[in-house]
Amino acid sequence: MDFRFTEDQLILVESIRDYFGGTHGPEVLRRLDVEGNRDPDIWQGLVDMGLTGLCVPEAHGGLGMGIVEAALIAAECGRVCLAEPLVDTAFVAVPWLIAKGETDKLSAIAAGDHKVALPHVLNPWVADGEGKPQTSVDPLRNLAMFPASGSNDDRLLNLGALMNAAQLLGLADAMLEQAVEYAKIRTQFGQPVGAFQALKHQLASCAVAVEFAKPVVWRAAAAMQDGLETAPVHVSHAKIAASDAAMLTAETAIQVHGAMGYTYEVDLHFWMKRTWALVGGWGDRSYHYKRLDEAVLGGSFPIGPEHTFA
Amino acid sequence: MHLHFTPEQETFRAEVRAWMEAHVPKEPLVTLECREGFDQHVEWERTLASGNWGMVTWPEEFGGRGLDLIQWLIFEEEYFRAGGPNRANQNGIFLLGPTIMEFGTDDQKRRFLTPMAKGEVIWAQAWSEPGAGSDMAAISSKAIRDGDHYVITGQKTWSSRAAFADWGFGIFRTDPDSKRHKGLTFILFDLNTPGITRRPIRQLHGETGFAELFFDEVRVPIENCLAGEGEGWNVAMATAGFERGLMLRSPGRFQATAKRLVELYRMHEAEASPAAREAVVQAWGAAQAYAYNTYAVASKIMGGGKIGAEASLNKIFWSELDRSMHRTAMLLLGAHAELKRFGNGQINQWLEGYIFSLSGPIYAGSNEVQRNIVAERLLGLPRVGAG
Repeated sequence: MDFRFTEDQLILVESIRDYFGGTHGPEVLRRLDVEGNRDPDIWQGLVDMGLTGLCVPEAHGGLGMGIVEAALIAAECGRVCLAEPLVDTAFVAVPWLIAKGETDKLSAIAAGDHKVALPHVLNPWVADGEGKPQTSVDPLRNLAMFPASGSNDDRLLNLGALMNAAQLLGLADAMLEQAVEYAKIRTQFGQPVGAFQALKHQLASCAVAVEFAKPVVWRAAAAMQDGLETAPVHVSHAKIAASDAAMLTAETAIQVHGAMGYTYEVDLHFWMKRTWALVGGWGDRSYHYKRLDEAVLGGSFPIGPEHTFA
Repeated sequence: MHLHFTPEQETFRAEVRAWMEAHVPKEPLVTLECREGFDQHVEWERTLASGNWGMVTWPEEFGGRGLDLIQWLIFEEEYFRAGGPNRANQNGIFLLGPTIMEFGTDDQKRRFLTPMAKGEVIWAQAWSEPGAGSDMAAISSKAIRDGDHYVITGQKTWSSRAAFADWGFGIFRTDPDSKRHKGLTFILFDLNTPGITRRPIRQLHGETGFAELFFDEVRVPIENCLAGEGEGWNVAMATAGFERGLMLRSPGRFQATAKRLVELYRMHEAEASPAAREAVVQAWGAAQAYAYNTYAVASKIMGGGKIGAEASLNKIFWSELDRSMHRTAMLLLGAHAELKRFGNGQINQWLEGYIFSLSGPIYAGSNEVQRNIVAERLLGLPRVGAG
């Protein structure tokens, strides 16, 4: 029993966070919003970092890593509000294709030449998919209604929901940080507004919600990686915990920004809108709540202090 | 990330489970906030010690088993699974014990730790004063050096367990000219020392388990000073860290409450609202989240890491979870909620638990103070008003 990431995992996260920190600031999102949402150079950068092949087996030109690493990087994608379809392609589609034994596209995915947008019956429109365009509140989503009906495969849904949850953790972290930074510099009544307890306490409540959502998401990632029968319950728990934390943080962050938060000029809106988009995707709150309800009250899942890691 | 127990850990769990099943009292004990209940709980501490379960993480030479934090969590899970009573000596084993382990001399470790683990000496804490609650640095009780003794004069209040306990610990002003965090010293004292008057305070539930302590020129030997004179604030902060952090409230307690809540819900399912149903499911989810987080923190500490201001996140989370679970239970109980005993004679433990849960966001540093700590030390927001 060791609820820590390995040194290798931590180094991986740090290197990706550094890479994004140096190349993918808010100015990139503003530029994409004006120039057409996608940028082949950004995609190529992700390919060069090995991210498109993160979960692709080494035999197919990838790094052969697992669901836990993918979830960790998905959180980093959320942190920088990445718009390129990396998570859907590399962290949702790849593990699903591997599980189904379909390996023919993996090399092309790892090389960055093939992007995959998978529809699910619960998820009829997908980012960067083919079909009739749909307008999302998120200006960088490139949403499209898939022409054929989607899969109803549970494993696909669980992967999608888990990776949404992981991205929501990163989005929430970033929104909290933006709100804190704004509260430090915005002065009213002769002091930074962040010195007022009314704001401090709201931001502290966000920190509590986000910090206690994190281990739920990591537990779900480990359960998926280990192929536990109970993994769907953990994924639903993770999706709800991360969604609730991110929604709370989004609403608090805009409140802390005051009227500036209600403008298109402040970067926060990109993160907030991505949050709204991801919260509803890969099974909405009601869907995942019902799964949890069935597990906890339906008696299908062992509960009690001795079942922490059921 | 390896979220499976080893065969050795499973064997240990089985050992704890077997012992608990054989020894945990079948009937709930009377509340430890009254004399009769306190004595029952002390008796239970001694039963635990007879199985060498007093404090499993301590070294064997001090009455422990030398186990690691994961084993401690397994122990706690099994303790709460079996419905083990509240620990009369929680202030000793979870707060003072780790503090003595960190700051005490060898002599102090020998004198205090083993009797603590064996349940022979029950400890009370004496932090707050009438003018120093959330603002603990406002302490004014004095301990003035006189030869080999400190002479303590002043008043402590809201002192948990103090009505019936044997010894107490707290911080006192040893430098009368000092201000705020400076000039404070951490002192241990026998509650039966001449000059100490205990005035039990009747609590919300009507019992008198905690007390005010009046010190009238109480002479305490200087060897009862923990760490150096003037180091009291740092030592107290470390103790408060244990309190808010890992030890005081292990997750098993809340997972057990969540499970009981599920059982209560099933009894009231026919008339319960969808909101109550969702609150029950959420309670399970939050208790699990708390457990995962505790395992993550324990893993970090075992790997050489430390817990700092994050302890405040914990304290906010568990205290508000406990209150919300009991509130949900009270709402589910409906008209029965107000009954101190149900028709079948059983004590309404949800009511007792709800009343107690209201103290959680207040004791061990109010949640308002905790949110300030989170905002200032973890998020980096500006400090204002603190001296």
